[in-house]
Amino acid sequence: MQYKLTRVNPDRANPDADNERYPIGERQTVPDPMEEQVHRSIYMGKLEEVLHSAVNWGRKNSLWPYNFGLSCCYVEMTTAFTAPHDIARFGAEVIRASPRQADFMVIAGTCFIKMAPVIQRLYEQMLEPKWVISMGSCANSGGMYDIYSVVQGVDKFLPVDVYVPGCPPRPEAFLQGLQLLQDSIGKERRPLSWVVGDQGVYRPEMPSQKELRREERIQVTNLRSPDEL
Amino acid sequence: MSANSATAVPPYTENDPQVVQELTERFGEHAFTRQATRTGMPVLWVGRDRLIEVLRALRDLPRPYVMLYDLHAMDERLRTHRDGLPAADYTVFYHLLSIERNSDVMIKVALNEADLNLPTATGIWPNANWYEREVWDLYGITFTGHPHLTRMLMPSTWEGHPLRKDYHARATEFDPFSLTAAKQDLEQEALRFKPEDWGMKRQGKNEDYMFLNLGPNHPSAHGAFRIILQLDGEEIVDCVPEIGYHHRGAEKMAERQSWHSYIPYTDRIDYLGGVMNNLPYVLSVEKLAGITVPERVEVIRVMLAEFFRITSHLLFLGTYIQDVGAMTPVFFTFTDRQRAYDVIEGITGFRLHPAWFRIGGVAHDLPRGWEKPVRDFIKWLPKRLNEYQKAAMDNSILRGRTVGVSKYTTAEALEWGVTGAGLRATGLDFDLRKTRPYSGYQNFDFEIPLAANGDAYDRCIVRIEEMRQSLRIIEQCLNNMPEGAYKADHPLTTPPPKDRTLQHIETLITHFLQVSWGPVMPANESFQMIEATKGINSYYLTSDGSTMSYRTRIRTPSFAHLQQIPAVIRGSMVPDLIAYLGSIDFVMADVDR
Repeated sequence: MQYKLTRVNPDRANPDADNERYPIGERQTVPDPMEEQVHRSIYMGKLEEVLHSAVNWGRKNSLWPYNFGLSCCYVEMTTAFTAPHDIARFGAEVIRASPRQADFMVIAGTCFIKMAPVIQRLYEQMLEPKWVISMGSCANSGGMYDIYSVVQGVDKFLPVDVYVPGCPPRPEAFLQGLQLLQDSIGKERRPLSWVVGDQGVYRPEMPSQKELRREERIQVTNLRSPDEL
Repeated sequence: MSANSATAVPPYTENDPQVVQELTERFGEHAFTRQATRTGMPVLWVGRDRLIEVLRALRDLPRPYVMLYDLHAMDERLRTHRDGLPAADYTVFYHLLSIERNSDVMIKVALNEADLNLPTATGIWPNANWYEREVWDLYGITFTGHPHLTRMLMPSTWEGHPLRKDYHARATEFDPFSLTAAKQDLEQEALRFKPEDWGMKRQGKNEDYMFLNLGPNHPSAHGAFRIILQLDGEEIVDCVPEIGYHHRGAEKMAERQSWHSYIPYTDRIDYLGGVMNNLPYVLSVEKLAGITVPERVEVIRVMLAEFFRITSHLLFLGTYIQDVGAMTPVFFTFTDRQRAYDVIEGITGFRLHPAWFRIGGVAHDLPRGWEKPVRDFIKWLPKRLNEYQKAAMDNSILRGRTVGVSKYTTAEALEWGVTGAGLRATGLDFDLRKTRPYSGYQNFDFEIPLAANGDAYDRCIVRIEEMRQSLRIIEQCLNNMPEGAYKADHPLTTPPPKDRTLQHIETLITHFLQVSWGPVMPANESFQMIEATKGINSYYLTSDGSTMSYRTRIRTPSFAHLQQIPAVIRGSMVPDLIAYLGSIDFVMADVDR
């Protein structure tokens, strides 16, 4: 599997820091660092792999969402938090009102040009490790709002981990997006400590669900008739 | 709760001739140009020099026009059908509403491009303040004497006036958005609140004030809403609500969508209202087209609109109770909402934004077997409402936090343009479904719940009772659903009935054009207001005889409700503000559009 390596080096003097665009940091696509020669030894390699899985297991099963909503999608996101959908089954029910206590942020709704600096500030206030789910067409790409006041996709300035399509997506779709994020977190390689290994963040490049499910989807030929309940 | 009548509202007068007569008697025949429209009210053009005089007269008439219902503008420069209208580059219109006459009047002023200037109306109606700011923001028309004419919907760093016809509509016509570190700092600095700009003092006689910034992201602000509080200890001395973090340019969008393809955008105005938002729009377009819909269409529309009133009120109820400190009810109300969505989804195929109404009908006939889920829902909800009443509304903590909090009177509500449950909680029996029936509401048997104190508690009680009344309406729809077509047989019905197309080549071509380009609506102006979930919502459409609207003005209730906040909350405590915000029941899309 390919990984995306992100390095943010705050010490590096950037002569053009003011004009640096968000998301800040250098990104490159690299192979799985655990498959390098040095990790093939039993002692270092397996030990590190076990450590990574243990840490990731803990992280992915206790994701605390940030209580942040923009528009319609937030209603469906909240619906996922309540009894009929019960997000607690996935360990993500502890909504935090402060970004400093949250693990991930769901951009649930339209990202407005007036709101973008605010979103950026809130994202910066979250502590690493942190993730972003883009929920709904507006956050993904601007959706049906190709209009002067709307940013055409929140990934213009935030690093997005999972895109959930829909206008708005159903609560079930949001829950699926959450599970995909969990899968992705399970494969991450983050620094185990500030003295162990190199300090880059390796995120797996997950396969597109559209392609994965294509076969299954085109098998469906009979749709429910709208004439009958 | 029985309907007591503070002011008796007479039956609705369409195109009220009396006010025109009163005005011409006072100002003379030549002071006005009368415009014939399908708005259902007299539309009078008046010269700029006499504007304030005329507005003042309307406010002071016996049985006065107490409410400035709407104030906005239009760029007339590209309009072709202007027969007999005064020459104008821009028009500003004032839509006034009288409760005691139950009639409306619209005053228009023509403006020349070289001199975009008007005297402010804030001295007559306090709520002109935000409307004038919005007009300045989106059109660049200045209002002399306005207390604070600054950007409102757009960021303060914005350039240009987006609703002008020569301003680009699409984001993709500009450079792609990017955020640099420098721009981030600049924008953050622009968001800093400076009390001096608002004429606020940093110190009182014996104390320093604290300025508390609440929002644009705050759990109890119900969306991207910012309010800055000037505090003396925990007492709110003054506050400044700031909006515009949710401006999706819906009015500009209407100018490039066909009459038909704009329907999904209306769903997203009050995003808890679903198809309820389609209703004023399609009714207004049908007025332009001259379509009368079959009875079955009316009843289906009413039924679904009432379903959305219930889902919206249930969300309000859950979050409101949560705002004042109770955790569990929100889980219960969302379970109820899920049940309502099962019905809505079964009928329309979508949950939040079905966009299911059409010009001249609805998208599809009711599916076979729709009655059972509807009946199940009607059986399910009443006992749940009784539980909420017992467990939450009769709870002494909730009562302690809300009774007597953020109170206002009927007169105050009217001068701020407040409508909906917030108005009825003050005791005024004004619900459009009774006072100006539309879409066949006159055929239903239901009551308008009222309260007397106009406080945060009453606004909630009124809404709970409204849900019970909505259930009554739905039950009547269920038992008396008329047979017949789900689309009107009219050439402008969109999409047209299929069997019309297959007659001969002429009908086929018409059908093809209507589906690909969209229907062409006759040049005119039309208007429809409805009692939406949050208050009165209306669409004022101007057609220039094209496949697209020339100007769509959407008047939303929440905009007016937020403007009223400082007037109500001054002198209260911070927790009262939270209860108040919860009781207003607003969504930001309904404010900023």
